[in-house]
Amino acid sequence: MVFMEATHIPAGTSVPRERVFCVRKLSKTYGSGSTTVHALAGVDLDLFSGELIVLLGPSGGGKTTLLNNLGGLDTPTSGELYYRDLDLTSADESELTRYRRNAVGFVFQFYNLIPSLTARENVGLITEIARDPMPPEEALEMVNLGARLDHFPAQLSGGEQQRVAIARAIAKRPQVLLCDEPTGALDVRTGIVVLEAIDRINRDLGTLTVVITHNAVMADMADRVVHFSDGRVQQVRENSFRVAPQTLKW
Amino acid sequence: MLPHLDRKLWRDLRHMKGQVFAVALVMACGLTMLIMARSLIFSLESTQEQYYRAHHFAEVFAYLKRAPNSVLEQVRQIPGAGTVQSGLSAQVTLDIPGLDEPASGNVRSMPDYGEPELNRLYLRKGRWLQPGGRREVLVGEAFANANQLQPGDQIAMLLHGRRQQFRIAGIVLSPEFVFESRPGAALPDNRTYGIFWMPYEELAYAFDLYGAFNFLSLTLEPGASERTLMAALDNLLRPYGGRGSYGRPDHPSHIRVSDEITVLRVLAFAFPLVFLSIGAFMTNAVLSRLLALQREQIAILKAFGFLNRQIVTHYLKFALVMVSLGTILGSVGGVVLGRRLVQIYHNFFRFPTLEFQLDRSALLWALGVSAGAATLGVFNSVRRAATLPPAEAMRPEPPANYRPALVERTGIAHLFSHTFRIAVRNIERKPVQALLTIIGLALATGILIVPTCIREGLGAVLGIKWDLNSRQDVTVGLVEPSSARAQHALGQLPGVWSVEPTRTAVARIRFGHRHRQIGIQGVIEGGLHIRIVEENQREIPLPKNGIVLSSKLADVMGARFGDELTVEFLEGRRLVRNVPLLGLHDDFAGVTAHMEIDALNRLLGEGDVITGATLSVDQARRGDFLRALKGIPSVAWVVIKESIRENFGKTTAASINVIQSIYLTCASIVAFGVVYNNARISLAERSRELATLRVIGFSQREVGAVVVTELVILALIAVPIGLAFGTVLATTLITQVSTETVRLPLVLSPANYAFAVSVVVVASTLSGLFVLRRLNQLNLVGALKAPE
Repeated sequence: MVFMEATHIPAGTSVPRERVFCVRKLSKTYGSGSTTVHALAGVDLDLFSGELIVLLGPSGGGKTTLLNNLGGLDTPTSGELYYRDLDLTSADESELTRYRRNAVGFVFQFYNLIPSLTARENVGLITEIARDPMPPEEALEMVNLGARLDHFPAQLSGGEQQRVAIARAIAKRPQVLLCDEPTGALDVRTGIVVLEAIDRINRDLGTLTVVITHNAVMADMADRVVHFSDGRVQQVRENSFRVAPQTLKW
Repeated sequence: MLPHLDRKLWRDLRHMKGQVFAVALVMACGLTMLIMARSLIFSLESTQEQYYRAHHFAEVFAYLKRAPNSVLEQVRQIPGAGTVQSGLSAQVTLDIPGLDEPASGNVRSMPDYGEPELNRLYLRKGRWLQPGGRREVLVGEAFANANQLQPGDQIAMLLHGRRQQFRIAGIVLSPEFVFESRPGAALPDNRTYGIFWMPYEELAYAFDLYGAFNFLSLTLEPGASERTLMAALDNLLRPYGGRGSYGRPDHPSHIRVSDEITVLRVLAFAFPLVFLSIGAFMTNAVLSRLLALQREQIAILKAFGFLNRQIVTHYLKFALVMVSLGTILGSVGGVVLGRRLVQIYHNFFRFPTLEFQLDRSALLWALGVSAGAATLGVFNSVRRAATLPPAEAMRPEPPANYRPALVERTGIAHLFSHTFRIAVRNIERKPVQALLTIIGLALATGILIVPTCIREGLGAVLGIKWDLNSRQDVTVGLVEPSSARAQHALGQLPGVWSVEPTRTAVARIRFGHRHRQIGIQGVIEGGLHIRIVEENQREIPLPKNGIVLSSKLADVMGARFGDELTVEFLEGRRLVRNVPLLGLHDDFAGVTAHMEIDALNRLLGEGDVITGATLSVDQARRGDFLRALKGIPSVAWVVIKESIRENFGKTTAASINVIQSIYLTCASIVAFGVVYNNARISLAERSRELATLRVIGFSQREVGAVVVTELVILALIAVPIGLAFGTVLATTLITQVSTETVRLPLVLSPANYAFAVSVVVVASTLSGLFVLRRLNQLNLVGALKAPE
């Protein structure tokens, strides 16, 4: 029973955790007629605060579509999708903007930094609009970039750029951190540095963190691993303990 | 079938249709101006030339008091003289049914039998004068139209003080009166001044000139010197009251047409240059953007074995499509506006036919110039892209390098928001693109200054002329020099508040080797009507024993205050006197010479003589006054200020409106196009960046602000530059048109600047909003997937 497993509360947790996302029969189709693509075909999933979830699956399986729906970048075709009490399926453009602004931190495969702003300013951009941000310097310190505050993206390595992106995502103290293939464009060594940063944020801030990857090795650092393909959750596996990212090898 | 590369071209074009259209429109503005102006020059010049040739327009003209016809034989003997045509010319007052005010006119003689050899008329309506017929006239078209006169209508004329009824036989045009206006008048008033023709015999008897002539026109033998002939002619005619001959370049009607052509030449050069340059820059920007996007495609094409030449050609075709579209739009625009302006010319210039004639060479020019400009604009970037080794081109372009902007390095960086920083750094990183936007907006602002400046200058001239220099309501000229009695009679007319006498004497004023023929006007010292002002419109008293010239006339003659001028009177006893220049009159239309009336009469060796008067009239009794004036036989002509003012509004002001609306349209198109292009490019280049901002929680409005901030900064820089450019442009043009016939004061009002700024701001804002609508369609998910 996929549903039962998905809602299972992680073992070893003394306090019952708060449910952050509630996903029911969520589906998303693109196109119409003979060209219809079912990117999501009835997803049921609950995600809880403080968890680190790895969403594992082949490309084209619908992981990114799910993440985009969770992050309010896209709206589903049918089904239920709640962020706490906020119904994301019926939220309008300004509600979604407010939701992204205050609750969600995004990390992308290609960093998506603003090239014309320095590391500090890229983070500062968020702190200008967020409700209760941390100082940019503090966010960058958390990803070990305290020494490269005034470098422009073009002056930073890929791993450093990705860490700036993480700092940018967490500076607003989000409830949810959504990472789409955060190490996809990086080599192993820098990839691990980035994962360490994500892991630390999750532990220190207790942010619900969802990491998309097609790299099965990364599953070991998660509380729960969600196997995803053909637009639905195939299996949810719970790790009895989380492996530190620096011990991962691929 | 279309080659595949061309299919790609069409699809790329469709994809960028907004920008392609914007570039084409800006080019079209330049081409419209080019084609319109060149075609108008061509139309005017060829029409004028054909008209002059077909109707035997003379080359030298001379007026005199009277000479017996036997003198003509001597004229023909002058070396270089070709065909000689003599005739009579007389001033008359008219009584036109339905016209309250008295009108005046110039009646000229027609040979009693056969056509005149020179200055032949063109019959527009009705028929020619019948040989031996009496009480029939031909009427100039401008006057006939203004008064709705038709062949068969009756008009009353006062010939030499005798009122006679005439029947209009036909309505005609003359090469001598393409511009039909009272001699010396800066503005035409076709309602109250007309040209008429009647048989020689009838006119000669009426004016007691039978067997004599008082007007002469000639052609030159091929190779003959105009100067030599005119000198000989002047010598010959001097005993007969000759007033000095002049050639075509000084012919009043001819000058007006030539002046118009001169203005068109400026239009045909300066403005297309400005617009086509912006068009070329925009083509460059659009194509550079396309090339950056298609870097990998170029590499693949090259990897497949396409030649550099083929690739360069492919992208040049892109530019040429924009040019062709621009040329088509520009040609249509040029023809449409040209036709419109030709309609306006009909108000001023009377040709048998003035059709808009497309200058086909202008089309070729337009295509050539804009294709050249566009090719020049894109060739380098296309070549750079094409010569890139394929392997290198296939790698994405290295990430953009930024650094803190110059303004931030001044230490005030902490004052800036992040949005502002993004904007200034972008501007600094792409200085050329920013510069082009600034130039475009500045030019759009600048060209708007010119027409308003001209309009306000004209307004000021008329204000100065009518409200300050010539404050009379009515000016009258008498048939013959008269005494103060005539002044008294005018003062008795109903509604007259005040009458001031005037005395006009035709003279040649000489200083050094320079001379000018002019009517010296004698007016009373301390009068309320005609007032002499120097610079800054400060009134100066008339000297008791000196002459006051227009500063422009003194300037042209090289004379300064205090210089002794030689005045040769061309009438009366033809005395030659030395008179000191004791004042400079700062006027704007035509050139004038003024003296105190008694001083002038003393100089002429005459007593208390007046030749006309100025009157101020109670506007409530204007009708009574005008009707009474009509009945006074000694009045030769009348100028009514209100009438000229009204006519000015209908003709000159109306044509300035048309020209202003053309400028307005072009400036709006440029502002709109430049902003549109800039915003589209910036949107396309930064879709990923903007999408990221949206994703991390910026609202649409906030993301829009990032793009808009940049445009606002550019506009803030551009507008003052544009105002400065407009000021220089207007100053240059106003200085250039400062001739002896028309001078405009440089009036640059805050309203003018405000108008220019607001047009550019509105056009830019609309354009910006238009582009920003695309932010709604920004694909948030797609933009994040992979770098472009």
